[in-house]
Amino acid sequence: MQFRALWRTTTFRLTVLYGLLFALGTLALLGMVYVQSAVFLTRRVDGILKTEAAGLARSPRPGLRQRVKEELLLNGDRTNIFALFAPDGTWIAGNLGAMPSGLRVDGAPLEIPSTPSFPASARIIARRLPSGEVLVVGRDVSQLQEMRAIVGSALILSGVSILLVGLACGTALGIGPLKRLQSLQAAARDIARGDLTRRMPAGRRGDELDMLATTINHMMDEVERLMSEVKGATETIAHDLLTPLSRAAIQLRRLQQSPSADPEELAHVTTGLNELLDRFHAILRIAELDARQRRAGFARVDLAQVIAPIEDLYQPLAEAGGVRLLTDRGPPALVEADPKLLFEAVCNLVDNAIKFAGGGSTVRVRLGPDPAAPRIIVQDDGPGIAADKRAAVLQRFYRADRHRPIPGSGLGLSVVAAIVRLHGFELTLEDADPGLRAVIDCRAHSA
Amino acid sequence: MARVLVIEDDVETAREIVACLVAGGFRTKQCLDGEQGLKLALTDRFDAITLDRMLPGSDGLQIIKAMRAGGVATPVLLLSALGDVDDRVEGLRVGGDDYLVKPFAPSELVMRVQVLLRRHDPAPKTDLLLRVGDLELDLVTREARRNGRSIELLPMEFRLLEFMMRHSGQLLSRRIIFERVWEYYFDPGTNLIDVHIGKLRKKIDEPGAPSLIKTERGVGYVLNAV
Repeated sequence: MQFRALWRTTTFRLTVLYGLLFALGTLALLGMVYVQSAVFLTRRVDGILKTEAAGLARSPRPGLRQRVKEELLLNGDRTNIFALFAPDGTWIAGNLGAMPSGLRVDGAPLEIPSTPSFPASARIIARRLPSGEVLVVGRDVSQLQEMRAIVGSALILSGVSILLVGLACGTALGIGPLKRLQSLQAAARDIARGDLTRRMPAGRRGDELDMLATTINHMMDEVERLMSEVKGATETIAHDLLTPLSRAAIQLRRLQQSPSADPEELAHVTTGLNELLDRFHAILRIAELDARQRRAGFARVDLAQVIAPIEDLYQPLAEAGGVRLLTDRGPPALVEADPKLLFEAVCNLVDNAIKFAGGGSTVRVRLGPDPAAPRIIVQDDGPGIAADKRAAVLQRFYRADRHRPIPGSGLGLSVVAAIVRLHGFELTLEDADPGLRAVIDCRAHSA
Repeated sequence: MARVLVIEDDVETAREIVACLVAGGFRTKQCLDGEQGLKLALTDRFDAITLDRMLPGSDGLQIIKAMRAGGVATPVLLLSALGDVDDRVEGLRVGGDDYLVKPFAPSELVMRVQVLLRRHDPAPKTDLLLRVGDLELDLVTREARRNGRSIELLPMEFRLLEFMMRHSGQLLSRRIIFERVWEYYFDPGTNLIDVHIGKLRKKIDEPGAPSLIKTERGVGYVLNAV
């Protein structure tokens, strides 16, 4: 995985930014502790030095040399400096060999490194005595310096480690989303290359990437359905439309060659061509329904009213086919719909049921029992449709049994599906055992 | 002989329509431009007009509105590639009398123009009794009789017979019958209309005699006095 790719991920950048801010905060805190403690300790040392120097300076001159020696004996010459210098800087007494350069008499305290006579770094001050001699008092401050060094290294170490931890966390946190993004990209590339069955990997966490993947997958389902419909339609046009067209062409050619046109044969050609026109109309109708955004004809309608005319309209057809048609309107069920379109959908379902259930069967049209979940149910006890073919029959042109001589465009169910889609309803085909149950679920979905 | 004004911008389609109408026994006047068509409709007398819904520069619906505003009541058959229910409703709302979706069968066009002409003939509407041969339909008592024999009809059968008798002698397609009698504007599918006609035939025909309703195969039905 490339760092640049990782760097571009939001997670990585945010984590590193947080790490950086945290490191800066910690550095500021430690820096404050360091400065405060160092200053406090230094001032304390300086105060002690001033008090000692003032005390010694008040001692009578003749005994001063002896006082210096006594002080060294009393306080220890390893941790304290006491020294006396002549006005010209010549050593008189004490454990400091020479006046350190840079030490200003009656000036500010000075920190000096270890010397052969005092093997530790020390903080010293110089006071001029009334005699003109110079008194130097000092203290070992190596502990103070060690403390400073410890705090300083703690500062650096903690800053660096926080930065490293930030980077590591950023990388760890960034790699996950980056890997998922890359797998999404890979899936998208496969789809772009034409593999419409490929889907985005979606986890169960339901985070933003999963939501995106799920949305894209829904979209791909629809695209795949449309593509397979287009493919199916193209293939079917080749079979279903070309066959009657070429048949008509042959018939017309024969008529052209014959000396007198047989009206029977002419009627035959006309029937064939009219069926073709009907088929084209159905294709256009589905396209129109699918493209339609307007819901101009929509109103609150009672499903019982919608299915009421079915019996009058289809009873003769059912009788002619030896099918028993029963309608049970049930209680009123109100839905938001275009009643004419919904009626057309039900007509198509009833027409199909009568056509495919066959003689001796019963077709029932009824509403679902629950008015809160309004449904239109068209059920027959005919041969039904095999479970694996129920989805296929909703595709354009599909006919479950192509070899049965049943008239029709093969588009009836597609028209139903398009009308149902327009309403945001749901069409399901179920096994009625025996027979087929077509259900239009009229609960408002996503329309 | 009835005169039909054909307003259609596509030369090929216009030629087809004219050929159909001439073959159907009409005289025609062809016009390729909406504006000129409107002028002709306002100044000349025609028995019917076929009007393309979408013309370059002007909408067919605007032409109907202008014609109706100009006091011309000539029946208009709108021809359109837009077959949506809403388009149809709008076409009829602004004053169109019928709507035919392209592509159409030539016979369908001729039939619809004939039906339009008969509908605009004011005489039959005032009739209280329709008569075709020895078949009678009393619109007041809502009774049908043939040769004095009373025929029981269901309400839908009555409406179907009334429509066919009003247009007796005219060839009527299944689609026209479905639209005019049931007032549904979708493909009734398979043989829905055929069985309704079949039932009506059984009721009105005399046993052994030829049927009053003849089937024109692949086209439609015609009700004639035997």
